[in-house]
Amino acid sequence: MSIDNEHKEGAEVLFMGNEAIARGALEAGVRVAAGYPGTPSSEIIETLSRSAKEGSLYVEWSTNEKVAMEVAAAASFAGLRSMCVMKQNGVNVASDFLLHLTGSGTRGGMILVTCDDPGALSSVNEGESRHFARLMEIPLLEPADFQEAKEMTRWAFTLSEEIRNIVMVRSVTRMSHASGNVVLGPLPPAGGTAEFLCDGPISDPEQGPIISAPVAEKHRLQQDKVRKAVSLFEKSLFNTYTGPKKPELLVITSSACRLYTREAVSMLAAEDRVGILKLGTTWPIPPALVKRYLTATEKILIVEEVLPFLEDQVKILAAEQVRETGIKTFFGKNDGTLPTTGELNPDLVAEAIGRILGIEPKTIPAAYGEKLRMLAGLIPRREQTFCPGCPHRASYWAIREALQRDGRGGFVCGDIGCYAMACLFPAAGFYTCKTLHAMGSGIGLASGFGKLGSFGLEQPVIAVCGDSTFYHAAIPALINAIHQDANVIFIALDNSGTAMTGFQSHPGIDINAMGNASPMVDIAALCKAMGAPVVVEDPFALKETRETLNSLMEGGGGLKVLILKQSCALSPEKKGKKRYLMQVDELLCKGDACGCNRLCTRIFRCPGLLWDRNKGKAQIDEVICAGCGVCAGICPAEAIRCEEAPVS
Amino acid sequence: MELGKVMQQVKERDAAPAEKGEGLGGQKELEEMVLKAGLCTGCGACVNICPYQASYRDKTVTLHSCDLTRGRCYDFCPRTPADLGALQRKLYDESDITPELGAMRGFFITRATDTAIRRQSQHGGTVTALITLALREGLIDAAVLAGEGEGLLPQAVTVSDPETAGRLGKSRFVVSPTVAEFNRAIRTECRQIGVVATPCQALALAKMRTQSVTATEGGIEKLQLVIGLFCGWALSWRDLSTVLKEKMDLASITGMDIPPSRYHTLEVYTRGETIRISLDEINLCVRESCHSCGDMTAEFSDLSVGSARLPEGWETARQWNQVIVRTERGLDLLELARRRGILEFKEVPGGNLEKLKAASLNKKRVAATRPSVGNGSGDSYRQAG
Ligand SMILES: Cc1cc2nc3c(=O)[nH]c(=O)nc-3n(C[C@H](O)[C@H](O)[C@H](O)COP(=O)(O)OP(=O)(O)OC[C@H]3O[C@@H](n4cnc5c(N)ncnc54)[C@H](O)[C@@H]3O)c2cc1C
Ligand code: SF4
Ligand code: SF4
Repeated sequence: MSIDNEHKEGAEVLFMGNEAIARGALEAGVRVAAGYPGTPSSEIIETLSRSAKEGSLYVEWSTNEKVAMEVAAAASFAGLRSMCVMKQNGVNVASDFLLHLTGSGTRGGMILVTCDDPGALSSVNEGESRHFARLMEIPLLEPADFQEAKEMTRWAFTLSEEIRNIVMVRSVTRMSHASGNVVLGPLPPAGGTAEFLCDGPISDPEQGPIISAPVAEKHRLQQDKVRKAVSLFEKSLFNTYTGPKKPELLVITSSACRLYTREAVSMLAAEDRVGILKLGTTWPIPPALVKRYLTATEKILIVEEVLPFLEDQVKILAAEQVRETGIKTFFGKNDGTLPTTGELNPDLVAEAIGRILGIEPKTIPAAYGEKLRMLAGLIPRREQTFCPGCPHRASYWAIREALQRDGRGGFVCGDIGCYAMACLFPAAGFYTCKTLHAMGSGIGLASGFGKLGSFGLEQPVIAVCGDSTFYHAAIPALINAIHQDANVIFIALDNSGTAMTGFQSHPGIDINAMGNASPMVDIAALCKAMGAPVVVEDPFALKETRETLNSLMEGGGGLKVLILKQSCALSPEKKGKKRYLMQVDELLCKGDACGCNRLCTRIFRCPGLLWDRNKGKAQIDEVICAGCGVCAGICPAEAIRCEEAPVS
Repeated sequence: MELGKVMQQVKERDAAPAEKGEGLGGQKELEEMVLKAGLCTGCGACVNICPYQASYRDKTVTLHSCDLTRGRCYDFCPRTPADLGALQRKLYDESDITPELGAMRGFFITRATDTAIRRQSQHGGTVTALITLALREGLIDAAVLAGEGEGLLPQAVTVSDPETAGRLGKSRFVVSPTVAEFNRAIRTECRQIGVVATPCQALALAKMRTQSVTATEGGIEKLQLVIGLFCGWALSWRDLSTVLKEKMDLASITGMDIPPSRYHTLEVYTRGETIRISLDEINLCVRESCHSCGDMTAEFSDLSVGSARLPEGWETARQWNQVIVRTERGLDLLELARRRGILEFKEVPGGNLEKLKAASLNKKRVAATRPSVGNGSGDSYRQAG
């Protein structure tokens, strides 16, 4: 859905949090938006890309988050409004540039939108980006509903221009991916010219070069800007209070936690005892405002997800103001009232408030619980696995067999992408990956492992990496491994797309985020140019792939590259099209007997294969089978047959 | 140690079926008791009967885990507990069984009369001559042999043509997955199969023969002839390659042999010269599992062949073989070879059998001191004789 043309000013529409953020940026007149895909942030750039137009909005999927921030900063330096978008760990990647950017300051309004994932619903960490605001000394805004997500994003650009520095807007999964009604504002006219004025003196913020030196001077200036932001925060309408004048308990909260708190208070029917101070400007918190509410109560509970961030600020403030506010009792993370890991929910918050106020939270009626359990029983059990027809299943099959054959205890360093599941789930990758960290860390770790031969490490070392991850962060580590002559086999699992997050474009694809043709960077050519020997295989050819790997594990050291090229089963060119019609020959299928023991449905476990318990034979689920034909190559009895599918 | 005591020890180690788990395991037990314990011989008995085990280079590996609690892999493996005495009594005439050398119907010194065969063989070419004869006479229609593979690795192959079999002589001191190849061959068209086997491989075949037909999916009745090779040990491919690579171009190697123990060397024949390597260095390359092997003469074969020891000295002896005949079938084949003039015979020098018994007993003695779990090397192993 495009969010600009169809919806006019004043209309009320149902938006996903990420769409609301994108709309806010459009209403602010953003001209350049750059990001790197990552759940739960991806829809912001995707939505914006649909509104992209030459001369009015440029949108790109950048190679990584640091580059995205640099691209957006350039626009700001040239006087345009710009934004960069990423998930929480993307901020780590961008942080080196961010540190310098916050020192140098910006010109056109520039915002950083980060979407955190408390509870790591689709991440391998629950890192928090909020702390970067404090670390980098830049203002932080956190929307608590969908309207606010739009308004706050829009206002963030204004604030950025006011203080001439980048402003951070932080969302979380439950905000980005949930939906609510949003009343639209006007869209500004297109246009705006870009020019980077840089001939003035260093001290001139309008026309001088943009650098973070002289550091002492610039740092002082930056802190002045923060103080200016705080004075605006004191009056901000994004900070709201609901509840009695003198509440028994004051809850200070922000973001999605405001909704949990509201629900919890209503569950406990404690509206007249609990006050909720919702902060939208969460770093720095406005001291005068918070002090006012502290004074009116004795007990304070801070409700936030993961680490104590608001809590620390509030407590410091309370300590500093203790003479005026009096001694208070604080509840939150540090005293264990709320957990410091995972997501919160209304139940957890209700329990916490109930404990403090001595209210027994209402338990759910028995009949309702019974119904819930019954319904849960109806949900089919699904295991975490790769899709039918996924090239990763084939790749890992070949890798695992090659490693087992080799028999020296070789292992795979994993990386971020769908293929990371091989660290976690037996049905996805047969537990082949043994390390999993940041993007690009697979080959970085492998580069290190590959130098431990002189200390007796004889295990073959393999690193896997998806194509998008390759461009994102693998290249420096790869160069390192080549240059240090590390004994590593680097496997690029090239499925031609950023499959995990929904097929965003990347440098290996000839179309960019705006749908225009763009030059592509070829992984094989790049690796060859760096001096590594490169072999390309189709992972669906299991035996060839395995044999190639085994021969790469043998003989001579140094880094070798194997590119396993096969498009994702969900890729637009493949989806819904079967290459083969598969069938199990029941006479040949060995079934449970020793000699097979259901290799296909017990180990290989493509969801397209079923086990017919009555017959004791394997079966193809024609609806689910993607027709890739790989399972025909694993059946020892040659009972799985493939037949060329008619072209439709 | 005197004979009785050694035999008692060997018996204790190999017997005690029930409580040691005879016929009581699947892949999990195989992995724990054999593969992970370093006891795997690489024979391949557990390979090609399911998709879970594979032979790679000189090793048997587990590709994926099988959760059946009973498996043929475990039953067939020569290293899982079995009552070897009972097995021997089942397959051989009890009156032929000797404690040192297994069943024995006769002991001979022979060699191939065909000098072409001898030139392409390890010693006297007895094995190759017998295999080609059996194929030619239709006693078997396929032979599972270990031909030359790549880079010191033998390649287990099934051949039907006597000419081809004639070219597959010579010993390869790295283990060949011969039984895996046999497992493959029984599922093909061939009906009568002969196998040239090391002692561990012959034991695996014997274990297969004593399983019920359903357990083997049928086919074991195709096994018509087992020619055993004497065996002191086999070498690990990786270790041997590493040692040899430093001293020569592996591609130039034409063969290898171990002269009698007083030479204490491994001879490597290359196109240019013979390179002698001290057994001190080679002993470090011996497969872990061979240290626990107490069978030097392939006791579970129809007839077994090794290098001869003659008063004329090694240069002459290396042209001959010692042969232990164990079964009717073995004897018939040898007699047929005599009648056809395929083999020539030499009188067995006095004392040879005693020396062989002593050597065989020595292997049993050393193995008996090993638990059935490999625990590193240390002892040095002499070749027979
Ligand atoms: C690993 C090993 C260790 C040995 N140790 C001794 C010993 O200690 N003392 C002793 O007297 N003899 C030993 N031998 C036997 C000896 O080397 C000769 O094979 C034997 O004397 C027969 O000689 P030949 O000329 O008749 O053999 P050939 O006519 O040359 O025939 C040899 C046959 O052995 C087969 N073969 C070769 N390598 C292997 C292998 N690795 N596994 C299975 N089959 C194979 C070939 O396919 C061929 O059929 C050993 C053999 C091997 C393979
Ligand atoms: S000794 Fe033979 S049967 Fe036993 S595990 Fe090794 S290869 Fe398999
Ligand atoms: S020594 Fe025993 S285990 Fe080793 S190869 Fe020879 S027969 Fe097999």
